[in-house]
Amino acid sequence: MTYVVTDNCIQCKYTDCVDICPVDCFYEGPNFLVIHPDECIDCDDCVEACPADAIYKDDDLPEEKKEFLLLNEELAQIWPSITDQKDPMPDAEKWDGVAGKLEHLQR
Amino acid sequence: MAKAEKHIPSEREQSFLGTVVNGKYDRQIITGIKKFLEGSVPQDMQGFYSPEELQAIVALDGTEQDVQARMPVKITRHYFEQAKNSKAIQTLVKASPKETYDLDGAEDPGKQLSYSPVEGLIHKYELGLIYVAATCSAHCRFCYREELISKKVIQREDGTASPKGLAQISEIVAYVKEHNRIVAENDGRHPDTGREKLREILMSGGDPMVLGNKNIAQWLAALAEAGIESIRLGTKELAFFPERFDATFFEMLDNFHEIYPQTNLRMMVHFNHPDEFLKKQPDGRYIDHPLGGLEWIDTTRAAVQQMARRDWINIDNQSPIIAGINNDADALRIMQRELKRNGVENHYFFCGRDIVGHKAFNVPIEEAWHVLNESQKGLSGVEAHARLSITHYKGKTEVSAVTNKPMPGVPGGENGVVILKLLRSAEDAKDRCKVTIVGRNPEAIWFSGYDDRVIYDEAELFSMYGIETTALAAAE
Repeated sequence: MTYVVTDNCIQCKYTDCVDICPVDCFYEGPNFLVIHPDECIDCDDCVEACPADAIYKDDDLPEEKKEFLLLNEELAQIWPSITDQKDPMPDAEKWDGVAGKLEHLQR
Repeated sequence: MAKAEKHIPSEREQSFLGTVVNGKYDRQIITGIKKFLEGSVPQDMQGFYSPEELQAIVALDGTEQDVQARMPVKITRHYFEQAKNSKAIQTLVKASPKETYDLDGAEDPGKQLSYSPVEGLIHKYELGLIYVAATCSAHCRFCYREELISKKVIQREDGTASPKGLAQISEIVAYVKEHNRIVAENDGRHPDTGREKLREILMSGGDPMVLGNKNIAQWLAALAEAGIESIRLGTKELAFFPERFDATFFEMLDNFHEIYPQTNLRMMVHFNHPDEFLKKQPDGRYIDHPLGGLEWIDTTRAAVQQMARRDWINIDNQSPIIAGINNDADALRIMQRELKRNGVENHYFFCGRDIVGHKAFNVPIEEAWHVLNESQKGLSGVEAHARLSITHYKGKTEVSAVTNKPMPGVPGGENGVVILKLLRSAEDAKDRCKVTIVGRNPEAIWFSGYDDRVIYDEAELFSMYGIETTALAAAE
């Protein structure tokens, strides 16, 4: 049904996924990106494009990341669409791989 | 693979691209067997696979016979609605263990890689084919691009191995311009291949119609700007999700036409069976329209009409003849009649290719010819334009005739002969319309089924592989 952006995108927001997405189904918040589940066509391209390995096929979501399925769906309704790649967040490299980033999510 | 440089659009391209708006689409795609297995699909889809069918498929996961690895399972809500009441559509879209019972077949049956000068481009005939998307809204189980869709690692001619990549605008534009420059400097013929100017490009995949309008528009403008006069767009989206052909799409096309009025758009659509576009009664019968013809699914008809009313767009249908889906003369007769009546030309029917696992899908060549011939009885001349083609390495080859009168003295000749004619031929088409005649083999699903009974081989379909003509006993 969809692909899902998970916690390791938070504070990084590399946006390589936005550049490669053929259907422009990414939506942008202050420090996180999400995928609109109805617009995603399951092409799989963004998984490899993400430098932070933050994107999963919904069937492959690890148990502890399951909550991101609903979070993507919810935030995609609220946030604006993003269609062009831009620079990652200033401290992206430092944040890549940091545990427990969900608490830093800004809505 | 290094990322190609971004294409820089010209001012004219930009003036068009600035007008393009992306639509929003709710395809409600279901991908993967797991969702059916877990019951996380919507209530009405729960019984689409029986528990036994699911078990049989899942049992093969991770084995050599893995059906899902061969081709991921994928369906839209719209296509599911049609599949509910159609055995043919179910066979088309539902995974089955039959697909991998016999894995015989070729990874690159048309030897397309040997005609690929740039990643994502096949330049075999005078026309070029580009892969612009690696997925479709739903997946046909018989797809012969399964290696692209399932992102399979394939062996390259240079000895390396990697998945097939997509075409990049900058690389394709550079190739077209360079090819056409060389042609122009050599009196209209390429000195190495004898080809003329590259005038036509087929956007394929995958399905280009899964891309957003902006993405499609970038390709259209860049190709037109590079000197391409006719752009084909190969799509099955009319069957999978006709709502994709919405107002934003046609607005984009109209704006394109205004800025590039000389460019012809050829929509190469893909219907396999009338159940994909006709309304059905609960008892399975089609519905007569009170003013003539049969009733179409409203969204599909609207999409076809929108295209048909634009005089710079052509619509052609082509379809393989696949076991259990459309090896049915009555279905094909109705399909050809209704498509033509609504402005869709019937172009080719194909014999299935010898892809990996093809034995689950292919109809014997002589049966496919017979089915098509029966289907065209009762059609008028203009409704019966379609020919049966089988794709040889040398080019598309028409199965012109299958005779019933014995030709004694050759293997298989006691049943008659099959007459094959090259319709297309690579590069400068030097072998176009040459003929090969073989003794019949009602079991044959590929050329190899005739290796021991070649009677006449002007087209060199067999001799190019060192297979000799069987001499007629009577002539000795």
